[in-house]
Amino acid sequence: MHTEAIDPPGVQWLRVSPKYVTVRLVEWAIGNVLMLAVLSLPLIFVLLGWWRWPPLWLAITVPAVMLVLALWRLVLIPRQVRAIGYAERDDDLLIRRGIFFQRTMVVPYGRMQYVDVAVGPVERSLGLCTLKLHTASAGTNAQLPGLPSAEGARLREQLSARGEARLAGL
Amino acid sequence: MSLENSATESLPGKPEPAVDGGWNRVHPASPFVRGWVALAAVGFFFGRDAFERMLQGRDFLDPNLSGRVPWLLAGGGVVLLLTVGGFILSWYFTRYQVAEGYVRVNTGFLFKQQRQARLDRVQAIDIVQPLLARIFGLAELKFEVADAGESAVRLAYLPLDQAKQLRATILARAAGVVSGPETTEEIPEAPEHVVLSVPPSRLIGSLLLSEQTIGILAGAAVVVVVSVFTQNQTLFLALIPGILGIGAAYWNSFNKGYNFTAAISPDGIRLRYGLLDTQAQTLPPGRIQALMVTQPPLWRIFGWYRMHVNVAGYGVSGGTEGAARTMLLPVGMKSDVLRMMSLVLPDPGVEDPERVFTAGLDGLGPAGADLAPGDGYVTTPRRARLLAPLGWRRNGFLATKTALLIRSGRWWHTLVMVPHQRTQSMALHQGPWARRFGVADLVLHTTAGPVSPRVFQAGVEQAVELFDQQAARAREARKRQTSEQWLAQVAPQAPEVAAAIPEPPAQPEPPAQPGQSAQPTQPQTSPQEDRHDG
Repeated sequence: MHTEAIDPPGVQWLRVSPKYVTVRLVEWAIGNVLMLAVLSLPLIFVLLGWWRWPPLWLAITVPAVMLVLALWRLVLIPRQVRAIGYAERDDDLLIRRGIFFQRTMVVPYGRMQYVDVAVGPVERSLGLCTLKLHTASAGTNAQLPGLPSAEGARLREQLSARGEARLAGL
Repeated sequence: MSLENSATESLPGKPEPAVDGGWNRVHPASPFVRGWVALAAVGFFFGRDAFERMLQGRDFLDPNLSGRVPWLLAGGGVVLLLTVGGFILSWYFTRYQVAEGYVRVNTGFLFKQQRQARLDRVQAIDIVQPLLARIFGLAELKFEVADAGESAVRLAYLPLDQAKQLRATILARAAGVVSGPETTEEIPEAPEHVVLSVPPSRLIGSLLLSEQTIGILAGAAVVVVVSVFTQNQTLFLALIPGILGIGAAYWNSFNKGYNFTAAISPDGIRLRYGLLDTQAQTLPPGRIQALMVTQPPLWRIFGWYRMHVNVAGYGVSGGTEGAARTMLLPVGMKSDVLRMMSLVLPDPGVEDPERVFTAGLDGLGPAGADLAPGDGYVTTPRRARLLAPLGWRRNGFLATKTALLIRSGRWWHTLVMVPHQRTQSMALHQGPWARRFGVADLVLHTTAGPVSPRVFQAGVEQAVELFDQQAARAREARKRQTSEQWLAQVAPQAPEVAAAIPEPPAQPEPPAQPGQSAQPTQPQTSPQEDRHDG
């Protein structure tokens, strides 16, 4: 992946599995299809003549705008997944994500309080998992979704071992 | 059996000398002090009717009820007995112990709870005296570990001197002064040295000039204008609940901030405050995760500042209590601020801390394009001045050897300080607009609290450089910090420190002369230096 401006120089990013796109697509479908269905109800009622309000143009515009936004998000999903990266350095873990709103995070191993591995139903069927790092700060929202299960387990063990070696108090 | 013995020993008037090893109980009166609301409710329920009759000059009891009086009395008696019995049981089954590096508390008789907290994990320790407890000479002890929720250990209530004794014991053990589990001699309270206090007049002035007041005046102006235009006088009636609420809020701030005193002792920073309810907080050295100095616009007239801190364990607990606990200084002059800064960060890591902190509080970056930053702070580059038309000369950061200083806010002057070894994790953020102007935000993650450090709109190159360097600095600083026991770090001196504790620590400069001498006091007390631990 090309290195963005805010990434520290000389970092080799590791990508998450491309299969994670499927997970995101399923999440996208569940969220947006439901939302579109609900928002289209007034349009159907107006067309059937059950409702006088809202006017037809409003009943069409709202779902149409939502549809455009949903499609826009759909198009972005593969790029967003490609933008997720992580890198293990000697003393800390780097995590990046985002295309428009980019974020690069560094979590020192010695600061990690515990490591979570979570697996949802869709992820399980694809053999993926999500790794979460927790520090003493609630602001550390360090998630690595879409890791292959083996890589997730390896990272978890690796991070725990390194964290133990460098453990500091608060 | 020893349990009964210890119970009888902890009766009032007999403060226990050595609370070590054995199990102790809290003061027998404490459930009543805690549950006085329940008792008052019972009394109110049964007494109201009779009281009203007496006021009306009628019989004490309703004549219709005269036949049923025994039943009513019996019912009331049963309720009272159950309540008191519950109190006694809850008192009997609440026991605590300080031993082997742990403080343990057992509570409950139906649902038992046993809790233990490691002493060297203490983040802060508070002695709280609500009004009623204060009348009876009782106090509550709160022991915080790094869990941003409820207090790890709350002992309510102990006689005041016993609470102080327990605090001294816990702190001495946490500091590593006393290590053996079987020490029975009394551990003297660490001497303290008052550093500053806030006069009530300044507190009132600060409340009157706070943001709250601006909001109220704006709201009142809106109401007046609207009522003039609509010629509707009843609008003023709608203000009454608002005024009551505002009055309560002011009273709360006044009650909490009254008689604010900060002192330094080998145990850490001691803060005391309160008019009706008093509170004494002890923050052991190195427990402050982040610090923020702010100045609302109107406070600039008098040059006042206030300070907040993040302490693991205090959390973000809402309400006035939480807000008061994270307040390091409700209102102070710049000299007070600098003094507190020097307590929190004994080694500022720069040669001229006063100039650096002053630039952080009030400084502005150069307006010209090619001027070198005069005060050491790296500010938002000129190319991004459209993104932050007011703040671009103010937003800035400066890394000293021991801490990162972040300043921001043209109107609300803000200076945030994070010691390097306290950084948990960091993130660089960049949105589309920021990318367009070539800037990025750096967010430092610290424990939950009122301070959320963020470097606003630093140039991308500087931000990435800071991101990289800051990770390295935090790593270095953490390597230097070795022990949780802050006095044990100077291990050979520890017994001498314990022995020398009754002497007041040497202070290079007499405190509490606001206005004079903005030079921050360096508390070079014997155990104070050389610890960057936590």
